[in-house]
Amino acid sequence: MRRVPQIASLHDATVVLDDRAVLHEVTLELGPGLTLVRGINGAGKTTLLRALAGLTPLARGTRDVATAPLFLGHRPMLLRGLTARENLTFLATFRGQVSPDVPAALRVWGLGPVMDRPVERLSAGQRRRASLARTDTEQVPLVLLDEPFAELDPDAVIRLRAAINSALARGQAVLMATHMHHELDEFASCSYVIDEGRLKPL
Amino acid sequence: MSAFERALLVAAREIAAERRHPDGLVAALTFTALLVFLESLVLGPGRAREPASASALFWIALLFAATLIANRTFDRELEDDAIDALLVIGGGRDALYAGATLAVGLVLAIVAIVGGALSIVLLDLSVSLAGHLALVVALGLLALPTVIVLATLLALRVRARVALVPILSFPILMPQLLASTQGAAAALSGDPNAALGWSGILAAFALVYGVLGLTIVPAAIE
Repeated sequence: MRRVPQIASLHDATVVLDDRAVLHEVTLELGPGLTLVRGINGAGKTTLLRALAGLTPLARGTRDVATAPLFLGHRPMLLRGLTARENLTFLATFRGQVSPDVPAALRVWGLGPVMDRPVERLSAGQRRRASLARTDTEQVPLVLLDEPFAELDPDAVIRLRAAINSALARGQAVLMATHMHHELDEFASCSYVIDEGRLKPL
Repeated sequence: MSAFERALLVAAREIAAERRHPDGLVAALTFTALLVFLESLVLGPGRAREPASASALFWIALLFAATLIANRTFDRELEDDAIDALLVIGGGRDALYAGATLAVGLVLAIVAIVGGALSIVLLDLSVSLAGHLALVVALGLLALPTVIVLATLLALRVRARVALVPILSFPILMPQLLASTQGAAAALSGDPNAALGWSGILAAFALVYGVLGLTIVPAAIE
């Protein structure tokens, strides 16, 4: 299933962890739009996203990603000891984003009153929101979201859907791994299911 | 943004986090102060004042302090997978190594200043060449974290990291530790040529291990 223009791809990618192949000869090409990957727990969704992000080495196959993607994993990926504002400012600056309006992004996610509080003093849901606010402050061609709806309240779920729509409107490629939220299927340009590390079109 | 600017950005981030929760600094200061205090008790005032003994224990204390600080730095990075956000971005691995080395070096400098002052006061040390001593300590502080941070990064996801880092790094650090000890002892006892000679060796260690770290780290971090 090929789409043009291509933003990222995996070709015959195999990932071996602890002497066990957790991704088998996966080929995936991503262009602008929403791509969903579904699968039960342990099917290999996270490994697929980490392989695309360059965080998990490939035992075989190739990875081709033009620009460093934005990867938002299970955990918030924010440094404890820094505030939400400091974390997002650091990451956007490090990525070379020009003048990201971090406070505005955090306010949109309802974190205005707590943006200057160290992240370890935020609730799990607030940390998750702060992490997802990076979709606004780091606008890169490829966004990888691993179970992004976990720990979110209904208001944040609405906000996340809006953030995904904004990313799609900007022409970004969004790859989301989830086993829930089937209502997203109608917005997806492509859907896959992963089972025991094997990826198949849905 | 240049590689150097990225490294400075990471160093500033690590320092900011350490400033808010100075776990590594407090542990290292406590350890160093206790070691200086115990040194004066165990060796007695006469032997503890000898330049070779005083400088050897000072550098041993800094060696363990560097290990403590580096471990705490990367514990923080691993919590909530904060490190992954950096590793995904191009140049993140180099910047993480260089930035963490700078940050650990800076925190270690505080420990060295406090530990040095305590040594001078508690052991009643006489410093013959203060400028030379400052040079030896500064170069020793540059050289030490390059190896400790490299070993910590290589053992990052290993469960026994706290034990593995000294095992990996201490054999490599032996010549460096010797140069630091000899250089500091020479500065304490008033031998400027020896102090400068050992300083040159320490500068070479800092350069070689820094370049080695930047070469190995991008491929080695998982």
